[in-house]
Amino acid sequence: MKRGSILQKFITNSPEETEAVAERLAAVLGGTEIIAMFGGLGAGKTAFTRGLARGLGINDGVSSPTFALVHEYSGKFPVYHFDMYRVTSWDDLYTTGFFDYMDNGIMVIEWSENIEAFLPEEHITVTIKSLSDNEREITIEGAKKI
Amino acid sequence: MKILAVDTSASPVSAALLSDGALLGEFYLNIKTTHSQTLMPIVSALLSSSGTDIKDIDIFAVNVGPGSFTGVRIGTASVKGMSMPLGKPCAQISTLEAMAYSMPYSDGIVCAVMDARCSQVYNALFRLDGGEIERITEDRALSIEALAEDLGNYEEQIYLTGDGADICYKAFENKLPNIFLPPVNIRYQHAFGTALAAAKMAEEGRLVSSDELMPVYLRLPQAERELKERLAGNK
Repeated sequence: MKRGSILQKFITNSPEETEAVAERLAAVLGGTEIIAMFGGLGAGKTAFTRGLARGLGINDGVSSPTFALVHEYSGKFPVYHFDMYRVTSWDDLYTTGFFDYMDNGIMVIEWSENIEAFLPEEHITVTIKSLSDNEREITIEGAKKI
Repeated sequence: MKILAVDTSASPVSAALLSDGALLGEFYLNIKTTHSQTLMPIVSALLSSSGTDIKDIDIFAVNVGPGSFTGVRIGTASVKGMSMPLGKPCAQISTLEAMAYSMPYSDGIVCAVMDARCSQVYNALFRLDGGEIERITEDRALSIEALAEDLGNYEEQIYLTGDGADICYKAFENKLPNIFLPPVNIRYQHAFGTALAAAKMAEEGRLVSSDELMPVYLRLPQAERELKERLAGNK
């Protein structure tokens, strides 16, 4: 992780609370951040993205771009929502146009595990861990204090 | 002979109109809008403000890569679309070669370099000699480190150009005493360079039909390494 980056931890007890944490993160974003999300199936990555989008004034239905690979939303900043579940190589990543989106908006990436080696040094990491059915531990690294 | 050239290979977009070797007009934008929204309006503005009918264009030229994946597809598809109904030939130009043509008269080596992310670049070297441009290497994809090593073989002045020029200059300035970073007005690619390269290509009879025009992608060292690992794993 970057020098001087702070680690922020939150415990949430419902998807709504997860969305609320994401909304707070949205408030400190500058417009070109790359947010890499980690966490298995059902961890709440899409809920987190929904909250983040709402915090940026986006009320369009946010859903996981599993088949489209990327969804674009426009709010306070453009938001590019990626799902890397089926993206497993540099060639795959290049042909999603991933590198063309950089610096043009906020990039939110689900299944960052698959492309971790290709993430630029400057990025925010959001890790969501299931503690029980409804309880989640959310760790945010590399972002301003929320 | 009129040439309409476009470049959408990286973050700027530009279009140039060349008539018998003279630049009639050039339009350049470097904003955060996608090329699919800006390219056709600027081509249309360039043609109408110069009083040129698209039917009068003899050659359609485009930087077909290397470059951004979506960028080269937008440029190539647009030029295919403009040339096909008119049955006019196309010039399939290497982005890196177009950059060499954008450099002013100066003897030495032009190192055209584009940022391919993750410390990798697209690159080609050209020798400028008395106004002649001679290609020294093929277009290639390599790590910044490997490029530095190769540039160590040249003693002439080396001019960096392209959107990777700045990162390479930072990486090379202490290693290579003969490296030179040109001023910003000539540092990045413009469609004018594409048009000049197209004129040369026409002279040499190397134009293609709109059917034959294709984007060119170079596989990056990172992707090559992965592929090898995967193949080795499958044995």
